[in-house]
Amino acid sequence: MTNEADWIRMARAGDQSAFGRLVMAYQTPVYNLAYRMLGNAAEAEEAAQETFLRAYTNLRSYDPQRRFRSWLLSIASHYCIDRLRRRRITWLPLEDEIAVAGDSTNRLSSSQSEVAKISLTSGSPNPEAVVAEREREAYIQRLLAGLSPTDRAAITLRYWNDCSYEEIAETLNLTVSAVKSRLHRARRALAETMEGETDYAL
Amino acid sequence: MRCEQAGEMMSAWLDGRLDSAKIALLEDHLAGCSACQAEWRRLQALDRLLISAPMVRPPVRLRVQVMARLSRRDQARRAIIGSTALALGTVALALLVLAPALLGLLDVTGVAPALISGGPATVAQLLTFTGAMGRALLVLAERFAAPLACLSLCSLAVALALNRLWVGAVRRVRAAH
Repeated sequence: MTNEADWIRMARAGDQSAFGRLVMAYQTPVYNLAYRMLGNAAEAEEAAQETFLRAYTNLRSYDPQRRFRSWLLSIASHYCIDRLRRRRITWLPLEDEIAVAGDSTNRLSSSQSEVAKISLTSGSPNPEAVVAEREREAYIQRLLAGLSPTDRAAITLRYWNDCSYEEIAETLNLTVSAVKSRLHRARRALAETMEGETDYAL
Repeated sequence: MRCEQAGEMMSAWLDGRLDSAKIALLEDHLAGCSACQAEWRRLQALDRLLISAPMVRPPVRLRVQVMARLSRRDQARRAIIGSTALALGTVALALLVLAPALLGLLDVTGVAPALISGGPATVAQLLTFTGAMGRALLVLAERFAAPLACLSLCSLAVALALNRLWVGAVRRVRAAH
């Protein structure tokens, strides 16, 4: 039976079908990271595609001693962090800042419609539960949007990719103690935002 | 224990990275600090919310699109390499075929006198030198006309053979996918 190391070796030799296996195996963690980082399905899909293309191009620089998942998630995180930083620059030119601040309700509803498009893995047949789940999704994405790109990456890796502190540190090029303090800072900020909202607090 | 330290420990506890001795310390602190109790409740509520959010399913087309983009990129790269090789080969071949004619052009003796009468002495000297070189090369070219023609034919044959090999390799790569 072919294992991951063989797929990587074959993909490095130019075997695209072996790389296809790797895409199949890792598309869910990569896509979930991108989705929680960028907040919408369309950008997440583009980011996931870009991550795999970059991985294929740079496969020769991959160190087999490292976990392949961490290496892939590192490419995805850095791509998403860059994208969020660029978004911040292009979305908020000075003259639009007030208009955007006053338009937060519209932004929320557009993010809700984006969330409505994605398919959740715990598919529930009950329509009320579906609506509640979508509302919760939109709420979580809005909470995450308040974090800095790197804090957002740390929280996403911790909660949706089930990464250890060591793996988060490796993925984001941070020390373990920096990961610890970033997670704490991010959680505190998220919890404070949450406290102001009655629906999900406590 | 300071409240800031307690806060970091709460976060570590949520991540399962706090040993029982430290948990006991934190619990002692929580028992006597209402501010930290409130923060602990907030952090637990947040933790429950984030844990309850499921993984999202990537679109089915994701893998297909990645593979399509990869093969488009590879095709574009092969086309660039192929066309560059073809262009360089053609230029090399053209130079070989046109070499006798180019060497003939260097024989500027018929044009030189007019330039010498109008131009400065340096230009005249340069032209005389070029003319002499041209004549020498022409003599060489005349002498080696047959070998040059032979070389042109050989390089044409080599270029055609390389082209066939390249086309064959591209076909094999396509068939493999």
